[in-house]
Amino acid sequence: MAQTTMNNPPKEFNSARLRKKTGVFFQYLFAILLTAFFIFPLYWMLISSFKTTEELLLSKPTFWPKTFNFDSYPYIFNSFPMWRFIFNSFFMTVCTTSLQLIIGVMAAYAFSKGDFPGKDILFVLILGALMIPIQVTFIPTYIMVAHWGWINTYIGLILPEAVSAYFIFMLRQNFKAVDESYLDAGRVDGMGRIGIIVHVLVPMCKPAIVTVTVIALINGWNSYFWPKMVTTSNDYRTLSIALREISSAFAGLEIMNFNKIMAAAVISVIPVVFLFLLCQRYILTGFSKAAMK
Amino acid sequence: MSTIAPKRKRISRYHVRNKFYDFSCAIPALVFFAIFVYYPIVELFRYSLTDWNLMRDTYNYVGLKNYQWLFTSSVGWKRFSSSLTITLLYTIGEVSASCIFGILLALLFNRMSNSFKVMRTLVILPRYVTVSATTLVFLLMYNKEYGLINNVLRAMNLPAVSWLNSQDTALISVIIYSFWRSVGYAMMIYLSAIKGLSQDYFEAAALDGANGVQKFRYITLPLIAPTTLFLAVTSFLAAMKVYQTVEMLTGGGPYESTSVIVYWIYALAFRNYRVDRASAVGCVFFMILLICTILTMNISDRKVNYDA
Repeated sequence: MAQTTMNNPPKEFNSARLRKKTGVFFQYLFAILLTAFFIFPLYWMLISSFKTTEELLLSKPTFWPKTFNFDSYPYIFNSFPMWRFIFNSFFMTVCTTSLQLIIGVMAAYAFSKGDFPGKDILFVLILGALMIPIQVTFIPTYIMVAHWGWINTYIGLILPEAVSAYFIFMLRQNFKAVDESYLDAGRVDGMGRIGIIVHVLVPMCKPAIVTVTVIALINGWNSYFWPKMVTTSNDYRTLSIALREISSAFAGLEIMNFNKIMAAAVISVIPVVFLFLLCQRYILTGFSKAAMK
Repeated sequence: MSTIAPKRKRISRYHVRNKFYDFSCAIPALVFFAIFVYYPIVELFRYSLTDWNLMRDTYNYVGLKNYQWLFTSSVGWKRFSSSLTITLLYTIGEVSASCIFGILLALLFNRMSNSFKVMRTLVILPRYVTVSATTLVFLLMYNKEYGLINNVLRAMNLPAVSWLNSQDTALISVIIYSFWRSVGYAMMIYLSAIKGLSQDYFEAAALDGANGVQKFRYITLPLIAPTTLFLAVTSFLAAMKVYQTVEMLTGGGPYESTSVIVYWIYALAFRNYRVDRASAVGCVFFMILLICTILTMNISDRKVNYDA
């Protein structure tokens, strides 16, 4: 009797542990399957770019190319001004991000630590801009930019995306959390406004600034709506817009040339995927902040 | 007395100058929003009162004629109501799918280990990859004759589906793409909400003998209600503005079955050159977005949070 009571608890303990172990096993199994499912389209993009046209059209699709065919990449570079597209994307992304950063930091300083009459009302105007998206205002903006002769120019491509209300809002929240005594210490050391922004506020809010900068870089590279409005010539098209032009260049024969189209897609995707994987830590901290809202 | 007065004046001048410098930091941003946000919205309303065809240089004011066309003429109202319905169907489909599956994925991926960290990163990756590129690979997979999805269906002796080429399936195919892109984000938001929950509730429930499903239903779900609201509101407002996905995948077709409202505005203005009508639709669309925003702000002000 005494022995059974001694023996029973460990037995139960074992079965509970077994159940827990199988639970963990199924958690791993489902997680791996779902991850494979979500990543599959990107894998398919890469693998299709290495296939020959014949293999692309097989009724039994191959998940690993029988023969690796690298011809699609030179073909894309020879048939389209790819380097120009890449430069345009790069230039536009860097310009919009730096302008958003400079103007955003200054405005965030003014609306957090600054003091001037009408500060709150003007900040409401900035928040209001979040509610008026480019998808609403694009017709007058296009007509205005066209009137200034900015269609197919870098300035027309960059300027309408040079300030982000979201950027200002996020940075203001972070600047507000910096204690006033740090700013006073900076003033005692003889710093002016710019000195305080550059040497006190920006270093103290570095994680937030990195987060918004990474998001601005990714959004800039992927941006489509406005660049599509202002560019009609290959000289100013960004990669994101050019992809559509490349695929419609094969009009009617798309399915036979999908290896080439996928090669162009892979080229356009490489920078953002690398940027995301390198900086995902910063993007993920942004998520937990959003959830705490 | 006479010595104090000038001194006070000097201090106040110093303060005025300080305030001006503070204000001038905000000037670039304010000028930008005045030119690229507030001026265009006023202009949009002004255009909607004219009969401006982009092919002509001159235009006249015609009052509310464009709104009349939009709400009372059979053609205008039909197109407007159908594009609004399509937009709402798309939005509700995408938002509800990513919220529901976002919670489920968050529960599944809620494990502290490096392998799970890597898998989570891969699940959210689609959101940051260029939409132009990922829509192209979906075009390849959705292809009726050679696409992977139909090949798999045929191998399983199921009938092939003409995903993007049929009125019945085009919108759902677009929603599937958007779901693939956005569910990882929902998962991450839910994960950080679940991590922030206090363990006390779960320990108390375990003492009362609650099982896993009951814990989820009666503790996790109510406690993350504010997160669900935040996620639903932000993704609803974002999904209403959908344009690129539709243009890349279907071009608004077939038979305008995926012609969402922004796509219709764009087509009216730049294909039919009817800036007047496009602006009227734009103004109405803006009002809809504004009303949605104000309504949801009111809801989120009410208490949905049970945690003190």
